[in-house]
Formats: sequence, C-alpha cells, structure tokens
Amino acid sequence: MKGLLLKDFYMTLKYCRSFLLLVIVFLAVSFAGENNLFFAAYPCIFCGMIPVFLLSYDERSKWDVYSGTLPYSKAQLVSVKYLIGLCIEAIVLVLSGAAQAVRMSMAGTFAVGDWLILMSVFLVMALLAPTTSLPFMFQLGVEKGRVAYYVAMGTLCATAFILQDVLGKAQSPQTVFHGVLPILCLAVIALYALSWYLSILFYQKREL
Amino acid sequence: MNALEIKQLSKSFPGFQLDHLSLTLPNGCIMGLIGENGAGKSTTIKLILNLIHKDSGTVTILGRDNEDHLTLTKENVGVVMDDVGIPDYLTAKQVGKIMRHTFHNWQDDVYAEYLKKLSIPTDKLFKNLSRGTKMKLGIAVAMSHQPKLLLLDEATSGLDPVVRDEVVEMLSDFTRDETHSILISSHIVSDLEKLCDYVAFLHKGKLLLCEEKDRLLEEYGILHCTAEQLHELDADAIRSKKESPYGVEALVRREAVPDNFSISPIGIEELFLFVVKEVR
Repeated sequence: MKGLLLKDFYMTLKYCRSFLLLVIVFLAVSFAGENNLFFAAYPCIFCGMIPVFLLSYDERSKWDVYSGTLPYSKAQLVSVKYLIGLCIEAIVLVLSGAAQAVRMSMAGTFAVGDWLILMSVFLVMALLAPTTSLPFMFQLGVEKGRVAYYVAMGTLCATAFILQDVLGKAQSPQTVFHGVLPILCLAVIALYALSWYLSILFYQKREL
Repeated sequence: MNALEIKQLSKSFPGFQLDHLSLTLPNGCIMGLIGENGAGKSTTIKLILNLIHKDSGTVTILGRDNEDHLTLTKENVGVVMDDVGIPDYLTAKQVGKIMRHTFHNWQDDVYAEYLKKLSIPTDKLFKNLSRGTKMKLGIAVAMSHQPKLLLLDEATSGLDPVVRDEVVEMLSDFTRDETHSILISSHIVSDLEKLCDYVAFLHKGKLLLCEEKDRLLEEYGILHCTAEQLHELDADAIRSKKESPYGVEALVRREAVPDNFSISPIGIEELFLFVVKEVR
C-alpha cells in the first residue's frame, strides 16, 4: 500500500498546495479577534475534503480503473483515502491547535479545558465531511456520490437544528455544548470507522 | 499450462451482452482480440481482471481462478488500458517510484532502460505527453515487473506508424520467452496481423472465431467469380460472400474448392469483415 500512499502524497502536493496557503491565511485571520472561531475551524473542514478531491481526480484520470489492475485489494484502494485523510487532518489539527493555544495565551485566556473543547470541535468538523461523503462516492462514483452527500448533509443539518431547538429549551446552550461534545467526538470517530468499513463493502461491489 | 482460459463467460448490460465467451491463450503466444467498437473487447479484459463482475463462466489466469487471490496473480500481469490511467500531474520518474512500492518484482533498471529506449521524458508531467508517449509509458510500466502475461486494451490505437512499429517490436521481443503471453485487443486489425499467433473475432458480444492465425490464412482464401461459377461449388466450401453487379467475392475453404478455380490469399482484416457479414 506504500505505492498508493506515495501516489496520493504526490497528488496532494500538486493539487492541494493552495490549501496550505488557505490554512495559513485562515489561521492568521483567526488571531484578529476573540470570536473568529469560523476562521480557526475552516481549515479543518476544508482539508477534510482533500480525500474527496483526490478521489475526484482519480476518476477524472481513470486511475480508479487502472489501480484496479494493480496488485492491490479493493480494501487497500479504499483505505488509502481514509489514511491520507487522517494524516492531513492530523497536521492541520496540530497547526490549528498550536495557533489557538498561542492566540489564547496572548489574550491571557488560555485554559486547558477550553482549548480541549476547541480541539474537539475542530476534530468533529474535520472528520464530518469525509465520514459522510466517502461511502457515497465509493458506492456511486464522485458525481452521483456528491449529490447523495449533499442530501445526507442537508438531512443531518436539519436534524441538528431540531435537536438543538429541543435540547436548548431544556438546558442552557453552554451546558449542552460541554456535555454533548465529548460524546459527539467519540461518535464522530466511531462513524469515521464505520464509514471506512462501509466504503470497503460498497467498493467491493462496485464495477469499474 | 495456458496463460489464460476463459470458459462460457457471460455479462449483460442494458443494450449489450457478452455471450458465453470461451477462449484459450497458450503460454508463449500472442492473441489478438479483434472487434469493432462496442464489440465487447474492453468488457472481456475488465472481466478477466474482475474489475466488473461476471454473470456466469470462469476465468483462469496463469493457472489460477481470477476470484482466487487475484492480488497475487496481478503481480505477474501487466495491463495497459485504453486511457492508460496515470494521473495528469505525475512524471514518469514519480510513476517509477510508485510502482517500486507496488510490485514485488519491480525492476528500476529495466524501467529506466524502457524509458530511454522509447524516448520517454522522465520529468515531464503525464498531461503534457503526446498520446503515443502516454501509451509507451503505460507499456513501459506494464513490462518492468517481470510479468508473465500482458493484457493490452487498444494499446496501439492512436499511435503513429513509427511508434506503433516500435511497440510491436517490443511486444514480439517479450514473447521470445516461452513463459510470456499477450492478449491484445484492437479494432485496428493491421497491428494485430503482424503480431499475433492467434486471433479471436468478437462481434456484438459474440465470439465468431478463435483460431491460429497462420492456420486461418492457410485454410481460407478469396474467390472472385460469377454467380453461376459460385453455384458450381459445394455449399460447404463457401463461408460468406459479397455480391455485386460485377461478380461475386466469396470467402472459401481452399481445400473444398476445385483446382481450376483461382483463389487469392486473404488478410485478417478481410477475413474479419467476411465473418461479420456472414453473421449479419
């Protein structure tokens, strides 16, 4: 599988150079104020989509068919996208985490608990996109998979809004946030593993 | 041992059916899979590699069923697809590094030699290579890991005559080793005529004929005559015919035609066209 990882590493270097610049710009902007959480979280969301972009480039160049002729199992062909996603997200999380630690220290508001909550939010944001999109794409191909992904994300957001509304009436938002976040983190990690497993199952049945 | 054995292989798509295809490629031989666009050549190659799932039948590659440890079998198979499939932003040098970590038997020196021999630039992006050079790179990759079987899908189409000749020579060299075999598909019959020991004609998903090329060329010929002269012949002697106001052109079995008839030799392309006409 080293060959596949190396290929996706080359592809990431070539196609996703601009992502690095975006990460730096967004992290720098997040320093500008206290409540720039969006700018701090956005690199994680954006880089979470890199495996999806890689899959899309593979399909465009017909690598998806060619790689099927090489001595790799379908499980390996799927796993490489999840692994490369994890590697990229680990780097972005470290960068974002370090940047936020520095920002909080400079503002004199650094507290380990708050920082961990922030990192948990980033982790959830980072894993949500590949978790929900990759199984659709491995089953249906990138184009059809993208449509299915948008439908699924729409449903997910609607459910989250309804839940927030119901839970918000019962308790204060702060309590909900602190209480739910660790569970949400674990749930997203478990869903990432489930997504990985489902993608392998779907891809094994898919015809190239 | 045969390099490839296909028995009763079937696959249906909406509007197309590969219908109980059976063929055998002996070791050390080159088989040309000839058919028009949409005849089922790429489908056959994809079925061999299990890229698409068969409805029925069996495929044995180098003595092993293609559903049994196919990943191991692929170590000994080199494949070139019609679109090659190498990403646009990779160079030949990077492709070599990727393949070094892909095939156990990858040989850097052999790959470098092919790149040099075929004048493939090592640092140019794949997207900037000509169609011919892209195909040559695909062939260089397919031949640099000591494969025993090459599966080439339209690997010579779109190449200029000079490059095509180079590629044909390389493939001929490859099969000098008796353990090496090639299945090559093309709709350009002239390429395969030079190269192949066996030819298989595929038309609309049906195998019309699969035979040793030299035997076919010995067995069949073209008879130019009048309609009346053709009637004098035994019906078994005539496989197919084309009638025009100027006379009749018939594909005949040489041994069933009396000596007083003059029979011209036939090429594989003409033979293919006659056999297809027979089906129509």
